[in-house]
Amino acid sequence: MEFDPQPFNVTFGLLKWGAVTGAITVLALVVGLVASLLSGTSGRILFFRGLSSYVRDIAAVSSGRILAVARLTLKESLRRKALAIFVVFAILLMFAGWFLTSANQQEALQVSVHISFLLTAISWLILPAVMFLACWSIPEDIRVRSLHTVVTKPIRRIEVVLGRIVGFGVVVVVVVVVMGVAGYIWIQRQVPESARDQLTCRVPVYGFLYFKDRTGATARTGVNTGDIWAFRSYIEGNSPARAIWLFDGITPEVLGDQINLESRFEAFRTIKGTAESVELGVEGQYILVNDRREDAFAAFCFSATFRPFCDELRDGQFQNAAVSLREQADATGELTNRECVTFATAAVVARDELNRLSSQVSDELRTSFTAAAAAFEDAAEAAEAVENDDDTAGLENLAGPMRALADSLAEHGDDLLEEMPRLEVALPSFHVTEYHEGQDRYEIPRELTYTGNYEALARFLAEVTAEWNEAGRLIKDNALAADLSNQLASETEMSVLNTELLVEVLQEEIDAGELTVNGNSLSVANGRRWLSYFDQLVRAEKLIPQDPEGWVLKADLYDDLVFDDTLRIEVACLNHQLFIGMARPDLFVKMPDRPFWVGYSKALFSTVLMLLLVVVIGVTASCVVKGPVAFFLTFSVFIIGQTFHSFMIDIVTGNVEGGGMLESVTLILQQRNPSTGMDASELTQTIIHGADTVTRLGLAVASQIVPNFSVFSDATAYVENGFDVRWSFSVLPAIATFFGFLIPCVLLGAAFLKFRELEAK
Amino acid sequence: MNSLTSRQRKVAYAIAIVVLLVPIIWLGAPVSEDVEPGTQKEVSGGTLARMRVDQELGEATLGNIDPSSTAMNLVLLGLRGPAASLLHQNAIKYQERKNWGKLKSAVESIILLQPHYVEVWKFQGWNLAFNVSREWDRVTDRFYWVKEGMKFLIKGTGANQTATILFHNVGDFIGRKFGNSDEKKFFRRYFVQDPDSRFEGGADPEINGEGKDNYQVAFDWFIQANERDELYPVRGMTHVLFRKSPAQALFDYANATTEEGLFEASGKAWADAHEQWTQVFGNEIFRGLNAVTYKLNCTEEELKALAEENGVTLAVQRQIWAQNVNMVNYRFWENRAACERDPETVATRKAIFHGRQAYANGEISDSEDKNGQLQISPAQKLFEEGIAGMARLFENYPDLEIHDENRLTALLAVKYWAEIHKHNAKVPPDNHPLAEFAAHPDVLPLQSEVDLMFQRETY
Repeated sequence: MEFDPQPFNVTFGLLKWGAVTGAITVLALVVGLVASLLSGTSGRILFFRGLSSYVRDIAAVSSGRILAVARLTLKESLRRKALAIFVVFAILLMFAGWFLTSANQQEALQVSVHISFLLTAISWLILPAVMFLACWSIPEDIRVRSLHTVVTKPIRRIEVVLGRIVGFGVVVVVVVVVMGVAGYIWIQRQVPESARDQLTCRVPVYGFLYFKDRTGATARTGVNTGDIWAFRSYIEGNSPARAIWLFDGITPEVLGDQINLESRFEAFRTIKGTAESVELGVEGQYILVNDRREDAFAAFCFSATFRPFCDELRDGQFQNAAVSLREQADATGELTNRECVTFATAAVVARDELNRLSSQVSDELRTSFTAAAAAFEDAAEAAEAVENDDDTAGLENLAGPMRALADSLAEHGDDLLEEMPRLEVALPSFHVTEYHEGQDRYEIPRELTYTGNYEALARFLAEVTAEWNEAGRLIKDNALAADLSNQLASETEMSVLNTELLVEVLQEEIDAGELTVNGNSLSVANGRRWLSYFDQLVRAEKLIPQDPEGWVLKADLYDDLVFDDTLRIEVACLNHQLFIGMARPDLFVKMPDRPFWVGYSKALFSTVLMLLLVVVIGVTASCVVKGPVAFFLTFSVFIIGQTFHSFMIDIVTGNVEGGGMLESVTLILQQRNPSTGMDASELTQTIIHGADTVTRLGLAVASQIVPNFSVFSDATAYVENGFDVRWSFSVLPAIATFFGFLIPCVLLGAAFLKFRELEAK
Repeated sequence: MNSLTSRQRKVAYAIAIVVLLVPIIWLGAPVSEDVEPGTQKEVSGGTLARMRVDQELGEATLGNIDPSSTAMNLVLLGLRGPAASLLHQNAIKYQERKNWGKLKSAVESIILLQPHYVEVWKFQGWNLAFNVSREWDRVTDRFYWVKEGMKFLIKGTGANQTATILFHNVGDFIGRKFGNSDEKKFFRRYFVQDPDSRFEGGADPEINGEGKDNYQVAFDWFIQANERDELYPVRGMTHVLFRKSPAQALFDYANATTEEGLFEASGKAWADAHEQWTQVFGNEIFRGLNAVTYKLNCTEEELKALAEENGVTLAVQRQIWAQNVNMVNYRFWENRAACERDPETVATRKAIFHGRQAYANGEISDSEDKNGQLQISPAQKLFEEGIAGMARLFENYPDLEIHDENRLTALLAVKYWAEIHKHNAKVPPDNHPLAEFAAHPDVLPLQSEVDLMFQRETY
């Protein structure tokens, strides 16, 4: 599968549309004015008179007259046997089974091939018919002079143009609806019975994807395994490499007590792998992560120099991070300007995240968060002030704020750790099935059970200890409560073996003076927080579980793992030397399925819009040129827009190898490849590049004028693959493109018809 | 002016029509029975129809006619070439984008347009079976796409009954892809017990209707290919190499039975292969260099007779014969099959095979019986049996001693045997039956390879 649905940016689209149409309008008016001025005073008068008449025509458009022309157009279409197209369609459907049946036996492929055939048949059958109708109608009216009788009536030229478009539009809508309904019945009957349950629309919620490489550093993409198609990138198995998705809008109100995931990962092997992986596929794992520290501090990892500092912050070891930063502060003279920029950027991210969190934490901790945020801000400003690698004064000035930041982290580290958790819940592993659309599904329940790592265990024990201590249940008669172990086991998720260990360790700590008993309460001897205390205890490996299951903990999906309605899912590959490949749309949260007709009707709606745009272009072209010319013009615009639009954009943006037109021609003639470049003098190359810039400019203009017809087939691609993608991703771009061209085309067509000579030549 | 009356003119026209009808019927009458494509069977009918069949110019003589193919070509008028070209480009694009459903459908459309273009069948059959299958990760999926490639080729043989090479390719793919690839352990099993639940644990009837071993099915296809070769001689491939495929498939089958420990079948499999090699393949007449025909299993008299028949000297005939005997390793395979079908060889192979299994199962420790007598381990017993058997094999079939595979098997058995001794804290005696063989200077360099094999097997 190859689509990557992106939301349509309406504001940007409107601004761009305004700029392009505005520029074209201004250009047209200027050219018209200059031409009129050149033809003398009468020309100028004619220009302004014509312009004002044209504007009056637009202002006085009547829907009644438009509908009258539309009715005539409809009758004319019927007389021209436009509906004969149904016969061809029926014949196609009757014999399509010959070509499609058992082309593929896998069910998902069967469904995809049938839907693809039907929607393509509908588009391509109607397309030539509407092109003929739209391109030949007005020129034919002019040729047989029927238009002459019309324009003598109180009707404006813009109403003729709009009437034609509306009339042909009605024909298109009727034909597509009839074909769509017939096609729907045909698909239901034609798709093999075993594959009919695939005729549904899955509703995906896509996230944002980034990666961690094999060293754990953040990266935009994963590994390229040599695939020609660089759509997916890969993560290495049995390494820290991860693919990380962030999903927004994850709330219990929307998703209920279970989140359904669906994936379409690929696998890649550098070795054959175990017999199990050969039979079942590469093994992967989802890890649900709530990591405030990653969000705040990961950006420091972009600099190798600050990587140790970053790693300590990410691990929640603020004291060690302070030590690491002090070492850097002592050697600021060795920093490069680039490293300072990275540091400044990362410090700004950290500041913003700490400020954001400060509004959510208790009053007691808020001071620590704001103080740390201020320290990051000071450090960021000092780093930004470094102008270049040789700015020794700037680098020296950076040392102070860096040390202050280190001091702040050391001072407030415990407070920061308290409200900046990293909770990782590794879910049971899964096997990648590859290309079996809709098979890789995974259900995440709201209540999760997992084996806790150091931090999760420390947080859990700190929470339980604090709670029981506050309730006076830990200490009885200046000692640990007699039946504490059994009580903890019965009232928490800890096993008896583990509670016995915990009680034993607490007693040892009391005996060693690390914990003190005050009446009915227990406290840490040096006044530290429980979290910090247990963190140290766990890392000292004093709480290695007695239970073979480990410290089995529980987490609530929404309360513990979703933060600000965002769920972070990391994907890991578990097999050594095997890889899992993915792109953004390859993992999504699956909402309840919708019926097939929902996605199908969206695809048909996009098809209608595409055909209507062809009508609009055809009618506009026919206002100024004769039928055959209008037909070929419309056909060319359609083919370019359908097939080459993205190629044009790639050339304009320089994403195509081989340079511009002249450079490509030169390379072909010299039989050289783009990597080696042209065999020409520097002067010749400069001339060729200059000329190519001009042609590229022309192409840039063309790419804005020719509509991108491929947006109309996006909805088809979605339904072919069994998806119902949100309308703002699938249909809105098609609607925007249609109206974006409808308005200027109608105005242009009306102007052509108004100012042209109607007498047929 | 015409002096004939109206009646006379009408009679004249009728006579002319009748006269003209005779040659038209004689020349243009259609064939009166169904043409069996690829049989070169003579048909009755008009001269033109018979010529069309003789020269294989008609669709019906090339292969089965697909009505959808004909319909598609008619609909496209003269644009079959550009349409096929576009479909080929689409197929490449779909393959790059891993859109397998559309790739398969594009390929099906291409062959509707070009049903008798043999290279398309060959290329796309290979593409599906070898290239597309490897893009999938799970072995069941790979198997599915290998089958798709095979089925495609089989369909190609139906449409191209005169394309001998396609029949050969089907046999080649079924034998080689299922039997030699990395996944052969799974593929060979799936070939008989398809993982697709629709076949309820049986074989896919489209490629293996009788539920046979893949090499046996390959053998059937190679036999068909050789039969086609009689009518439509294959080009671009050495004749003797092409024709040896059925026997080679039987060798592969026999070898697989030995490797997989199916010793009940292996003796007979080797005997069948020996018979096919010596009695069928060895007695066939092949086209050699400069159209000189020869026979591999040839006596001196037959050699002379063939020299005379070919119009060449006996020396030339002998040279061509000897070259081809060497090229196909005729004597080696003859000896090997004779050796492997020998019940004693089967027993030797069996002992070594089970010895390795016993080693893998940890049955390598000596024990004491109830009388306090030391009992050597089951693995040691089996290897000792195997070592003695290999020594007898080298004695009975001295030509096979230089064969690396036999040397490695023998040395590996000795290696296992010695390791078992070490495990039991015993010094392996140096007077075992293969001691002299193992110490031979020609064999010694193989020891490092054997150590590596042992490591790999026991890791």
